[in-house]
Amino acid sequence: MGLKAVVSSPSPAFSTDESGAVEVTNVGHVYETASGTTEALTDISFRVETGRFISIVGPSGCGKSSLLMMIAGLVQPTRGTITAGGRPLVQPDPTRIGVVFQDASLYPWLTARSNVEFPLSLRHVDHKIRRERAEEALDLVGLAGFADKHPHELSGGMKQRVALARGLVQDPPILLMDEPFAALDEQTRLTMGDEVLRIWERTRKTIIFVTHGLSEAIHLSDEVLVLTSRPGKLVDRVSVDLPRPRSFEVMGGRRFEELRERIWQRIRS
Amino acid sequence: MSTASHALPSPRLVRTAIVLGVLLIWEILPRAGIVPSLFLPPMTTTLQMLVVEAPIYARHMLVTLQEVGIAMIFACGGGVLCGLAIGGAASARQIMLPMFSGLFAVPLVVLYPLFTAWFGIGSESKIIFASVYGFLPTLLGTAAGVQTVDRQFLIVARSLGATRMQKLWHVYLPATLPTVLAAFRLGGALAIVGVVVAEMLTSTAGIGFLISKYRTLLDSPRVYAAVVLVLVLAIAFDGLVQVLERRLGIAQQQSGRSVGKRSVASAVA
Ligand SMILES: Nc1ncnc2c1ncn2[C@@H]1O[C@H](COP(=O)(O)OP(=O)(O)OP(=O)(O)O)[C@@H](O)[C@H]1O
Ligand SMILES: [Mg+2]
Repeated sequence: MGLKAVVSSPSPAFSTDESGAVEVTNVGHVYETASGTTEALTDISFRVETGRFISIVGPSGCGKSSLLMMIAGLVQPTRGTITAGGRPLVQPDPTRIGVVFQDASLYPWLTARSNVEFPLSLRHVDHKIRRERAEEALDLVGLAGFADKHPHELSGGMKQRVALARGLVQDPPILLMDEPFAALDEQTRLTMGDEVLRIWERTRKTIIFVTHGLSEAIHLSDEVLVLTSRPGKLVDRVSVDLPRPRSFEVMGGRRFEELRERIWQRIRS
Repeated sequence: MSTASHALPSPRLVRTAIVLGVLLIWEILPRAGIVPSLFLPPMTTTLQMLVVEAPIYARHMLVTLQEVGIAMIFACGGGVLCGLAIGGAASARQIMLPMFSGLFAVPLVVLYPLFTAWFGIGSESKIIFASVYGFLPTLLGTAAGVQTVDRQFLIVARSLGATRMQKLWHVYLPATLPTVLAAFRLGGALAIVGVVVAEMLTSTAGIGFLISKYRTLLDSPRVYAAVVLVLVLAIAFDGLVQVLERRLGIAQQQSGRSVGKRSVASAVA
């Protein structure tokens, strides 16, 4: 589609590393239910290079979650193809793609540590290695001291940190996040945003981040994909050419307002 | 808490008092001639029988215990496994559940004579009858529990690469543990009832057999002594399940999440 031309990346360091690249080609999805069919997405194409931070915004019900689930291999697209790391994904593979969901999807019967270890124990990773890796991941998200707590003993922000650690524990090159901080209060959301940026800068993973917050999207990403609804269509790709780290001044500046305005216009159109 | 305990005696104390009261009434009513001792022999006379006739009771108790033990393995083990399997698969659930619910409504005791015809009057017929008797409610209870498992738990498991078996073992089982234990409790109690009733109907050994035999001889103290043993067996089993519940930390599990969020969820799990 013509959209691809608009896109060209402003990022100077163009990676040739395919491991974290995501390519979505002419993807559409139709849900078939007893009450009829819903066309959730139609003809979506875009490519994300390794190490980029991309946000997806759009009105409620435009298919953001569906798109993310398809990239994760949890839902098969009814049309088009998706590759991650250069290869198609027939089923979820947590070593290639980590997923963080909106609501604390932690298992309440496991401690924070066991929750993080969970994907490793599914693959029968040796107990000692499992421990080490979980410890590292918890450390990375700043929860080293809370390994033995159960989810109900943790705050909402901490729970999402654990979920993040679980997504990172197998060190996948790609991380998908579906409104991970939507249930948190403003302050915690801001802190968590910085946290994700810090982790991204350290690990240089490809991150695809779904959010309702336009400011959040601009603050975090290299590029914002804008979807519209019924059926979900990719209407714009907005490169965020603000310098990093993005201070309060930058975030209050004119360029920021212009970007925000543009995205908002596209969503409403 | 500590101030309240001044005003109210602990539940445990009240319970003990009630039990002692019942035992006391049991002793006094026949001794005072208010109730003929053929209907209700005094407590001490009954318990005395257990001591005097200890070898006989022990021998028959052993038979009963063995039958109950084996029946519980089939009823509870089989019931839980089949419940997990059936509850976990939509198609199996739709086909099988109505069938089992229907079967559950049949008073199986009326079929017991058939069991003796097929399997003889020895232990086999009791074990098989009690297994079937305890199996159905265990299965139904477990299957019902499985259906209430939060779909998000399953989506997460899939995104982390869990296989079907791993989902059953690592998600369905712990998530339904409280329900499963409740089902196990019911199934186990019914297995005990099944064995004793079967022994009472047609048999040559076991506590139920003793109850029947002494009843025809109008030997009330010995009948009551045997009944006491059945009670002890049932209470001991219940206590065992409670210990198990505490061990597994059912109390600390609190999954405070909404069930069945309709979204991409239903398509994924
Ligand atoms: N399992 C499903 N069965 C049928 N239709 C579904 C299913 N999941 C989603 N849909 C429909 O597909 C469309 C896109 O849903 P999706 O959840 O992907 O949107 P979303 O952009 O993530 O919305 P939100 O911002 O509210 O999270 C909606 O119209 C929704 O009703
Ligand atoms: Mg969504």
